[in-house]
Amino acid sequence: MAAVAQAVASSKVAVGDTVIQANNLTKAFSESVVALENASFKIKKGDFVSLVGPSGCGKSTLLRLVAGLIKKTSGNLTVHGKEVTEPRADTGMMFQRPILLEWRTSVENVLLPSELLGKVTNEDKRRAMGFLEMVGLKDFEFTFPRQLSGGMQQRVALARLLQTGADILLLDEPFGALDEFTRERLNVELMRIVSQFKTTTLFVTHNIQEAIFLADQVHVMTPRPGRLAKIIDVPFARPREISLQLTPEFNKLVAEVRDVLGGDH
Amino acid sequence: MSAITEGDVTALTDDADSSGQRAWIITKHLILFAVLILLWELAARAGWADPLMFPAPLGIVKQIWFIYVVQQNVWFHLYTTFAEAMAGLFFGSIMGIGLATAAALSLRFREYIKPYIIVIEATPRIAVGPLFIAWLGFGFSSKVALASLVCFFGPFVNTLTGLLNVDDEAEEMFRSMRATKWQTFWGLRVPNSATILMAGLKLGCSSAFGGALVAEFISANQGMGVLMSRYTYTLNMNGAFATLLSITFFAFLLFKIADVIDYYTVYWRSDSLMQAKSKKRKAAFLKAIAQN
Ligand SMILES: Nc1ncnc2c1ncn2[C@@H]1O[C@H](COP(=O)(O)OP(=O)(O)OP(=O)(O)O)[C@@H](O)[C@H]1O
Ligand SMILES: [Mg+2]
Repeated sequence: MAAVAQAVASSKVAVGDTVIQANNLTKAFSESVVALENASFKIKKGDFVSLVGPSGCGKSTLLRLVAGLIKKTSGNLTVHGKEVTEPRADTGMMFQRPILLEWRTSVENVLLPSELLGKVTNEDKRRAMGFLEMVGLKDFEFTFPRQLSGGMQQRVALARLLQTGADILLLDEPFGALDEFTRERLNVELMRIVSQFKTTTLFVTHNIQEAIFLADQVHVMTPRPGRLAKIIDVPFARPREISLQLTPEFNKLVAEVRDVLGGDH
Repeated sequence: MSAITEGDVTALTDDADSSGQRAWIITKHLILFAVLILLWELAARAGWADPLMFPAPLGIVKQIWFIYVVQQNVWFHLYTTFAEAMAGLFFGSIMGIGLATAAALSLRFREYIKPYIIVIEATPRIAVGPLFIAWLGFGFSSKVALASLVCFFGPFVNTLTGLLNVDDEAEEMFRSMRATKWQTFWGLRVPNSATILMAGLKLGCSSAFGGALVAEFISANQGMGVLMSRYTYTLNMNGAFATLLSITFFAFLLFKIADVIDYYTVYWRSDSLMQAKSKKRKAAFLKAIAQN
């Protein structure tokens, strides 16, 4: 497992350095649809940042900009000091749906990123098996997606994301479609994994509690036009216990986020 | 974990249920079929229907025996029509799948061929038969040409639909992993279109015989179409029905073969096939990583 951890956290950048930087980043799909307007922020190596806000406030847009999947309209966006123009090897993305290939077993799905890079080595295969074990899917390595529950499918997707070797993880409501119990468990596991690999993580969610519980920093966004309204630091040390959510300090932060979003949240 | 066991249990009970139910359904169908045949036989014997036009079932069975076993002349014609249909299916599907692939890969090509496809689509394909015979003669090739034309559309439309209707997010995921256009094509689009592509081929199978037969009706000197025309001209209705039933039988057989190929190609629809595949791939995989 140590080898696996090393393979992921192979970046030469030290913890604390700026990894993602945006200055007045704007994305307009048309003149009237401004999905993101003048967003400016810095994300440091190893940080976990939650993006929270109501539907349509541009969370996915921001994530897809960082992923290099869509082009910005104006402003600046750099990752490791380089302007983002296309998908990078050190960023990996995960979606709300697992998007597994039905004709492949779990481990074959996890191996997809290795395959796209070139020939799959036995080392890659062992690594994939290790990641599946890490996400709690030991004994399900050779099962097809249709035979897995939604939560298990999303675990496969997480293992696949780790297999890319990316140290910047972009997660777009990755557990949003799952029931609350499964979501809570996966959140805890996710926190353990990102701490172990020291990845920089951008995590989109609708859920304020979840956003705060997971993150070092919460970016609160508001819609029409999509704006980054406030950045709130979360002072609690990671990893955290579920019981943290019951403390007054935690609930004070919840109230603070809610305040920015206005009454309907 | 629960998902797996649940899946298994329902799969098993499903199978048990359906096999019991299926036996009963088949029995009901057979009874109804037997009654209909019996009524027909009775009607023919009682003279309710003109026996010259509507021969009795027993007479047809006798005729089938006669042309296949006693006289054996049907085999040659059957072979001819079968060969035409298969060649037509082959060329029609290759053309359909090939053009659809090109159209899926290139927007510009898609735009260029679109008007032609629409025109061909609007033309009753069978009506082109006499032209093909004028161009290619009375022999084999004109029959194959018509069968190909008739077969072309199922595979073409389905392949194009399958290749183009890919989940946007899946494509985005491939892109986020820096996949090339070809990697996305082979790794995502092609397997993704397998189900609908196979359905297109099945459509092609059903059309192939029709195309070959119609071409034979128009003009030919061998084949089941010729045989059937001959029997009807001479008012040998037993013979005509026997020929028709043969064609139905073989077209059905071809369709079933395609069905089986479909079942095994798109293995991820079947629990039992997935289980077998899992086992095989597991063994191979574990063997591979055991070495260095
Ligand atoms: N490809 C696109 N073309 C046109 N408009 C788009 C496109 N993608 C997003 N938009 C618009 O941009 C705005 C922000 O969309 P985005 O998907 O980023 O919101 P979101 O915060 O992720 O919402 P949700 O929580 O519902 O996922 C919306 O108004 C949406 O309609
Ligand atoms: Mg979104």
